[in-house]
Amino acid sequence: MGAYLVKRLAASVVTAILSSMAVFLLVRAVPGDVVAQMLGQSGARGSAAEESLRRFFGLDQPLWQQYLSWLWGVLQGDLGESWVRGRPVAQMVVNAFMVTLQLGLMTLVFATVIGVPLGLVAGLYEGRRIDSLIQGFNILGLSAPVFWLGLMLLVVVSQTFAWSPPLIYRTPGRDLGQNLEIMLLPLLSLGVLQAAAYSQFTRQCVVSAFSQDYVRTAVAKGLPMRVVFFKHILRNIMIPLVTFMGLILIQILGGTVVIETLFALPGLGRLLISAIETRDYPVVQGALLLVVFTALLVNLLVDMLYHVIDPRVRVGG
Amino acid sequence: MSAPAAASGNTAAATAGTPGLATQLRRFVRREPSFALGLVLFGLILLIAAFPQLFTAKSPTAIDTGSALRAPGAEHWFGTDEVGRDIFARTIHGTRVTLSIVAGSMLISALVGGFFGLIAGFAGRATDMIAGRAVDVILSFPPIVLGVVISGVLGPSITNLVIALSVVYIPVFFRIARSGAISESGRTYVEAARSVGLTERAILFGHVMRNVLPLILVQYMILFPLVLQIQAALGFLGLGVQPPTPDWGAILEQGKNYILFAPWISLFPGLFILVAALAVTLIGRGLQKRMDR
Repeated sequence: MGAYLVKRLAASVVTAILSSMAVFLLVRAVPGDVVAQMLGQSGARGSAAEESLRRFFGLDQPLWQQYLSWLWGVLQGDLGESWVRGRPVAQMVVNAFMVTLQLGLMTLVFATVIGVPLGLVAGLYEGRRIDSLIQGFNILGLSAPVFWLGLMLLVVVSQTFAWSPPLIYRTPGRDLGQNLEIMLLPLLSLGVLQAAAYSQFTRQCVVSAFSQDYVRTAVAKGLPMRVVFFKHILRNIMIPLVTFMGLILIQILGGTVVIETLFALPGLGRLLISAIETRDYPVVQGALLLVVFTALLVNLLVDMLYHVIDPRVRVGG
Repeated sequence: MSAPAAASGNTAAATAGTPGLATQLRRFVRREPSFALGLVLFGLILLIAAFPQLFTAKSPTAIDTGSALRAPGAEHWFGTDEVGRDIFARTIHGTRVTLSIVAGSMLISALVGGFFGLIAGFAGRATDMIAGRAVDVILSFPPIVLGVVISGVLGPSITNLVIALSVVYIPVFFRIARSGAISESGRTYVEAARSVGLTERAILFGHVMRNVLPLILVQYMILFPLVLQIQAALGFLGLGVQPPTPDWGAILEQGKNYILFAPWISLFPGLFILVAALAVTLIGRGLQKRMDR
């Protein structure tokens, strides 16, 4: 366990450092930086103003020097200041992350509560009508674009209930009612997709469990179906089901980019997109770093969980 | 030596006992209705992509401000947008644009990822090490986030969209090809080829590749709906195809500003995305079921 943990942790750290380099280079790889955008069409190219602005932002230094000083800051918890808004990036990114995290966790709960029971029922009644119905829902849910679903929900809700979500975001601490109101449609549109994915996965687990020896033995020795299902199957498929949550959480992290933009939620995805538009490198870097680190952390936890439950799992593969 | 003879013998035996084409077709539809539905839907979509003029005589870019934001009706089946362009014509003509971007970028991912995956899996060591780390880095970003960053940083255009989409999915094909090559490299036929003096390159690209190809094809089918969704999402964020070129995601982007007054602008292209994704998913499931059997 110890050796595995160290190896796995080392691999994550290497990936994290390489990813941070990729993040850094990616935003700088193209023409049109913040200085060019500030000066705009005024024709001040190559002027003293451009040079001093570059010096101010540290863009006159070689890339590796810029990277190292940024990395040094990151290690101390300092992500720099936004070039556009002048506020500390760490604070902006963490505030935005809280919004995304709330939406993500709510979606995860929704997907679990709806998806897992549907998948269990479908797997239990494999090949029957109820199974076909649930599979139909799964495939449709996975085929519909999330943002399109969001748009259609908005239309249906506003036309049937004469209701539309509030335009201004409030944190749950400040105004829980309004917070939940604005979260409702994003939650539903993301939730349907993830519930479909979870249900599909659960069904597969149940179906494959039925063909395993331990289930056949349990059935053969005359145990009632109820006992076989709850005591044997459910306990065994719990492992993949729990680890699948990690996968869903990472998917939601990506999915919120579009949904936040659509519903004007001030989350990490929306911050990222607006920062890319204004070439606000420190904010882009900070937001990306947080996304990548969260994904790495979730993956690491999932792997460790797997290892704890099943020590046969090795590094690599 | 005897393989071709056996194969033709099989076909002869099969044709002798088989009923007519119509009966076979009916049996297939009854046995695998969802596979059949997927094939029909996909065929229709391909037909639309290949010959959009067959389905609409209207131009997808003709502006007619006199009939802006019309609801769906006899004149405009899917309604019109804010400058009076026909949504039906735009959606129909957008089919080819959207699908060729998705299919093309996936082809690039499959070629690049498959090539390096084969080499990494077969040759191992240094190549595997370096390519493996690069792939880990790409995989540490959620796909859509990476797509947004690449296409956002490079600037919105079809070329950059294709670059973004292909980079995002290279790792998936890399991993499939790599694990395929690893398991193939232990097979007896590889040893046999080596013992008769074939070069490593000849073994890899002449023999191993042929056996890994089906895995890559199945992965292509599985990924297609996902890539379609991300392509549309990027278009929806304004990072994809730029107007006036018709593209499903781009039409949706344009429609979101009028969503409460003219929901039809968004409704129909979204339905087309859904149907296309559905069709490919159903075909993929059908194929997988056959391979498992």
